[in-house]
Amino acid sequence: MSRAREDRFHRALLVRRLVRLTGLTLGALALIALGYWRVQVAEGAYYRQLADNNRLRKQRLEAARGWIYDRAGRPLAENIPNYALSIDRSLARDLDATFRFVSKLLAVPTEVLAMRFATARSGPRFAPVVIADHLSLETVARASVEQLEHPEIGIEITHRRLYRLAHQTAHILGYLGEATPRDLRDHPLRYRPGDLVGKQGVEKLFDHTLRGRDGARVVVVDSHGRFKEEFDNHPAEPGQALHLTLDVPLQHAAAHLLEGKVGAIIAMEPFTGEILAMASSPSFDPNRFAGRLDAKSWQALLDNPQHPLQNRALQNSYPPGSVFKIVMAAAALETGIDPKDSVYCRGFSIIDNHRYRCWNAAGHGRVDLRAALKHSCNLYFHHLGQRLDIDQIARYARRFGLGQATGIELAGELRGLVPDRQWSLQTRNSRWYPGETISVATGQGPLLVTPLQVATLMAALANGGALVRPRLVRDEPPAASRRPDPRLHPATLAFLRDALDAVVNEPHGTGHSAHIRGFPIAGKTGTAQVVRQATRTSNQELAPDQRDHAWFASFAPVDHPQLVVVVFVEHGGAGSKVAAPLARALYETFLAGRSRNRPAA
Amino acid sequence: MYRRLGNIHWGPLLAALALCAIGLATVSSASAVGGTDYLPRQALWIGIGLIAMLIVFQVDYHTWIELAPVFYAASIAMLIAVLMVGRQVGGARSWLGIGSLGGQPSEFAKLATALMLVRYLNQVRRPALDLRHLLGASVIAAVPVVLVMLENDLGSAAMFGPMVLAMLAVGGLRLRHIACGMMILALLGAGYWAVGARGHQVQRIASFLQPDKDPLGAGYQVRQSKIAVGSGQWMGRGYGQGTQSQLRFLPERHTDFVAAVLAEEWGFLGVLTMLGLYAVFVASTARVAARSRDRAGILLLAGLLGLFAFHVLYNTGMVVGLVPITGIPLPFLSYGGSFMLVNFLITGLVLNVDDRRYVNR
Repeated sequence: MSRAREDRFHRALLVRRLVRLTGLTLGALALIALGYWRVQVAEGAYYRQLADNNRLRKQRLEAARGWIYDRAGRPLAENIPNYALSIDRSLARDLDATFRFVSKLLAVPTEVLAMRFATARSGPRFAPVVIADHLSLETVARASVEQLEHPEIGIEITHRRLYRLAHQTAHILGYLGEATPRDLRDHPLRYRPGDLVGKQGVEKLFDHTLRGRDGARVVVVDSHGRFKEEFDNHPAEPGQALHLTLDVPLQHAAAHLLEGKVGAIIAMEPFTGEILAMASSPSFDPNRFAGRLDAKSWQALLDNPQHPLQNRALQNSYPPGSVFKIVMAAAALETGIDPKDSVYCRGFSIIDNHRYRCWNAAGHGRVDLRAALKHSCNLYFHHLGQRLDIDQIARYARRFGLGQATGIELAGELRGLVPDRQWSLQTRNSRWYPGETISVATGQGPLLVTPLQVATLMAALANGGALVRPRLVRDEPPAASRRPDPRLHPATLAFLRDALDAVVNEPHGTGHSAHIRGFPIAGKTGTAQVVRQATRTSNQELAPDQRDHAWFASFAPVDHPQLVVVVFVEHGGAGSKVAAPLARALYETFLAGRSRNRPAA
Repeated sequence: MYRRLGNIHWGPLLAALALCAIGLATVSSASAVGGTDYLPRQALWIGIGLIAMLIVFQVDYHTWIELAPVFYAASIAMLIAVLMVGRQVGGARSWLGIGSLGGQPSEFAKLATALMLVRYLNQVRRPALDLRHLLGASVIAAVPVVLVMLENDLGSAAMFGPMVLAMLAVGGLRLRHIACGMMILALLGAGYWAVGARGHQVQRIASFLQPDKDPLGAGYQVRQSKIAVGSGQWMGRGYGQGTQSQLRFLPERHTDFVAAVLAEEWGFLGVLTMLGLYAVFVASTARVAARSRDRAGILLLAGLLGLFAFHVLYNTGMVVGLVPITGIPLPFLSYGGSFMLVNFLITGLVLNVDDRRYVNR
């Protein structure tokens, strides 16, 4: 083979190999094109979605919670700005330096800040982390000054709930707390994790109307999470306002009167059942957990032996003591017992070999029904307890609303206990002993009532016999508030009103300490024994948790009743000495408010 | 000179210029948000590239092959210099500072090695290479490859492979040599993985195998790139409208991932156009080689084709998640001075070989 021919042969060989290689390359290019086709065309919609997820951030626009007002439009619960301090990691040059600065600003140790930061950072990577809220304006100002030096520190403005009367309305309004897993499960559409929801009281009951609807703002962000532009905006719908029947001056006075005591005071409009004041003591300040839950003070509230979270007006029941004599008197009158029938009280009596004592060891002498009510003579009612049957007494007690829920809006209301034979067999598995009826006759024994039930009882006396449903919310139609009539004779009611008038307004009535000149109050005192006393001991000598409960149940004015006031002081002592003066003070506040509102009258 | 320009083979040149135009537009869009617009500098490098292309074109490629030992020695010297005083960019020490512009000697070393191999293999007058020539060629290639690997620029070192392989394949490989070579490479690769691989290389390969495992770590780039490409769909989001690139979710937008920006903003149609232009460049270069008058021309173009095509295939494949991420730029599109220059030198050599096919005939 010549050199030239050999070259040509080799050249052709090389070209053939090169063409093959080129074919391979072009084939590979086609495969690459196929790869792009798959990602861009076949799966393009999926990746478009991912790109949108990348760039779009949904921000929640918090709906302002509806305010809660009293009957005159005075705010009880409102929203105030809450300043929170946040740290944006993506802007922080040196997180340790940031912690040192914030630590000095808030006087919180750096370790605590670092811990809060670590627990709160589970959210989106670039979202600012809130590490402190409820900042004072002074702190906000000092942080703002340093923002040039510390761009990672932000002040976020949100809302927080402020309860104007703080602990004075805590049991009615309730408070807010973070939604529990159970809330989230029961209302998946209404609540989202981290939401503040009503936990107790009106805040809980009307959470759905108070909370409104959160809006959303969708923004475009870059890869550092920095805002670029707004993409979409649905404004929040603010929650609806709620108007309560409460009256701020009365509520304030009621709560103030109970300060340092344990008990409840209720002031109610007798015809409509509108609650003007409902105080329970001890109480708690709901503002303290209006935001993030403070585990320590929460536990302290739960552990407090006096149960500050309990609304004593309706969430606990007590022996009514002599207040129950009203029911006994009604039962006697309705069953045809002559009110003129009298009993001689010498301080004690022996019934079935058992010694029963009157509270007045000296005795009341000869007393009829009116006098027995006025002086709260136990012997008379012991006598009546022998003449009436327990089932009969229970029937009248129920007609006055005892032993059943009053139907107020608040949750957790107790029904109390009206004992009868059936109850005894069913729950105690024993028969009813006649001696027990004698105890019930003076409001002792198994009998239990809530202060709110006593208020509806008094309202029935005041309004001519209607059993009203107590109401806290004004916006509701009042038509549904009426309950079955106690069906009492007008004569019975008239007699009782006259007798209760005497209790307060006649010089030796047990409730005379509630007397106000020119404003006739009808009332009944009660001193309920907590422990059975074999021999008379002074209440003062008993341990505090064994002392008597003090009651005063009343309405006024006698002829045209405007207000029912029930005062209950747990282990307070004698109703005449402890409870009646508190009622009087509340009526005085009521009168002051009335003259302020109608200066010409 | 005018005669030469009149006879110029327009296929590769037009494809190159069209790709440069696409590259300018895409780099400008990709760097619009970064603070520095790379468009003027990219245009400058295209200009420099065109001038370099004309210079290469003027001198007969046989002369360039004759001068190969000089270029080869010079680039070895530069690679050693880089190892001692080079700047570190992105985990690899491969940049030589020349004033404000950086240059990567490894790019030029590839061309010098290609010329050197042509010179060496051209002596072979047989249908296939024997073991002696194979070893000789391996030594020529191994010296710069080892130096580049020492710079920790694995991607660039790997680019020698397809270039050398293409030349050997066209020169003629025996089956047993291929089998032996593959075994040796496999052993070397395994040894490197076990002993020498740096953290970021292991991570890249691991994240290629499972990109969704760690979406914010090493898999981030693959994921963001695929999102960019996929969200372009058929027609793209429009020029300057790509959210992945404009909002900076995409890394290395104007350099290694410029194809992702193109895919996002111009869609699958834009990608097809780009790949079509590369196909034109490759096919017309192959055509030039096929009608070249001698072994030297064919071997040279085979090497250049291997170098060029592999850049294209690897980079476009990497952007769409077909191969692990490594710092390999896309010819004519990615921003970068020395690489742009090399691509125009390749174009110049292609035109050069085409132009000289009639000489002495």
